[in-house]
Amino acid sequence: MTAVPADGLDAGAEGADRAGGAAGADGGESYRLNVDGFLRTVNGASIGDSLLTVLRDTLGVTAVKDACEQGRCGACSVLLDGRLAASCTVLAADADGTRVVTVAGLGGAGLARAVRAMFLAEGAVQCGFCTPGFVVAVTDLLTRHPDADEEEIREALAGNICRCTGYGRILAAVRAVQAERGALRSGDAHSSGETQRHGETQRHSDGGPDGW
Amino acid sequence: MFRRGSDRAGAVHGPAHTVLAAVLPPAAVPVGVVPVTAGGTTSAMFRPRTVGEAVEMLAAAHDSGAAVALLGGGTDLVPALRSGERAAEVVVALRRVLELRVRGAGADSLTIGAGVTYTDLAGWSLSPGLARAARVVGSVQIRNTGTVGGALGSARPAGDLLTFLTAADAEVLTTSPRGSDRLPLPRFLAEGLAPDALVTAVRLARPGGPQVYLKIGERQAAYPAVVSCAVLVDRVRHRLTCAVGGVGLLPARMEAAERYARDEVDWSTGTVSSAAARRFGDLVVEAATRITPALPAGPRGSAEYRWHAAGVLAGRAFARCLHVTAPPASGPVGDFAAGGQP
Ligand SMILES: Cc1cc2nc3c(=O)[nH]c(=O)nc-3n(C[C@H](O)[C@H](O)[C@H](O)COP(=O)(O)OP(=O)(O)OC[C@H]3O[C@@H](n4cnc5c(N)ncnc54)[C@H](O)[C@@H]3O)c2cc1C
Ligand code: FES
Ligand code: FES
Repeated sequence: MTAVPADGLDAGAEGADRAGGAAGADGGESYRLNVDGFLRTVNGASIGDSLLTVLRDTLGVTAVKDACEQGRCGACSVLLDGRLAASCTVLAADADGTRVVTVAGLGGAGLARAVRAMFLAEGAVQCGFCTPGFVVAVTDLLTRHPDADEEEIREALAGNICRCTGYGRILAAVRAVQAERGALRSGDAHSSGETQRHGETQRHSDGGPDGW
Repeated sequence: MFRRGSDRAGAVHGPAHTVLAAVLPPAAVPVGVVPVTAGGTTSAMFRPRTVGEAVEMLAAAHDSGAAVALLGGGTDLVPALRSGERAAEVVVALRRVLELRVRGAGADSLTIGAGVTYTDLAGWSLSPGLARAARVVGSVQIRNTGTVGGALGSARPAGDLLTFLTAADAEVLTTSPRGSDRLPLPRFLAEGLAPDALVTAVRLARPGGPQVYLKIGERQAAYPAVVSCAVLVDRVRHRLTCAVGGVGLLPARMEAAERYARDEVDWSTGTVSSAAARRFGDLVVEAATRITPALPAGPRGSAEYRWHAAGVLAGRAFARCLHVTAPPASGPVGDFAAGGQP
């Protein structure tokens, strides 16, 4: 396997296109995946293999965890072109040309660092199997909605299952990140998860009529 | 020619012999060639960039006798390939067909490309009802990945989008080597898609009034609904449509209840009596018991449970679309009126 920083190469759509048509030296299918900012060449994987399988078994990227392989548990969560996805529901060969980011590629500073630190500080990690997926999902949520209220947090993390913590410590970690980040944004009085717990949302399909 | 055209459009293929096995008629496969089975039977993937290329690849693969599957977001297909529930020698992946990701609005209609995801729909202000239905699909991960084309391809009995589109009298736009076609959703579902065709879009009328979608089931993020119900009101044409999913093999329209609503609603104000809301639910239960073919009773609820749930959801959705008054005095009543005022 080769690994080169993606920035150093033409990783655009055209590059992906060419990689898509090439056969590997061993006669197996060959394509490239941009994983955590590195272009990795995939040789010898089966075309029917999921992104999860190729990341773990072919590329040795164990930052994604394998549990249900049915899209239900979130242990295999990654960002695919910036969008949270379960890598077991994606065919790896179809991810050629996209940017795949695992927990290991979220970066050592900023929001992702805060999320990891608060998971530890708040006791949100027990066996740790679900943690990589949760950290990716929480980072994704707080990137999109820094001030998400309790209901929004629960909804955003519904695709991630934890068998150990009972979720209370995980929610506490999310609120702690919000509090810390809120304190950084000076003068923002609405950053505490507590103050927003009862915030009204109209995300559900049981809203009233809006056409009369 | 197939190989050349496909390579140009970005094919990922297996070892030469498995590609041959995939694209040639079974009789033409050289004796002694063993198909690769690790990771399923899939031996070739094609990644077209246009609908035209996709159709060409589908047709060529189909002519070769290979089992072909279209790949949208993969939330249904990829786990099914993994578990062996589905097998496909050739996969035609639609991720890069940008023209399928477009959604647009005409004077009276909305057109949604097959590659549009639930997340894309969830924020669409032109169709608040559809947006709300999209927001209650699965989890963030599933909504970011799952597509409209996949929802139609899977045609789940209580598929959220399918139930909504059934109530919306949607049309399905398809393309095959024989050209483009446009057919009503029920006909599309009854006839199925030709093996060399793909869904390019769905089209539905712009909302003409309140629209409510409700579902009931197990953990939403992990399992599709057990029973689903959509009620759509058209204030201009004085029409209310209702579809129920999860009782039959496909979502079904509740025609008797729709006729009852047409006569019972005060269309100038959008008001009905609370008794009418209950009657509406009862009519849905009556119709649900007659739906054929019925979904085989499974671990996720008996037939009786599904009929009952259909009536409850329909009565509730109906009440939420309208202003419910209590006879004889007027004014909001109890639960039925929840959300009934603008
Ligand atoms: C954990 C989980 C939760 C889920 N929750 C829900 C839920 O709450 N509600 C719900 O309705 N569904 C749910 N689903 C089912 C699924 O996500 C949806 O049906 C989704 O719309 C499928 O879309 P996709 O793009 O992922 O389809 P894919 O898996 O890519 O394809 C599904 C089928 O459609 C075919 N297909 C794909 N694109 C096209 C096209 N353009 N033309 C013709 N055929 C095509 C494929 O060949 C395949 O047979 C859930 C699935 C999972 C794994
Ligand atoms: S392993 Fe992918 S969601 Fe469970
Ligand atoms: S900490 Fe063990 S599954 Fe979450």
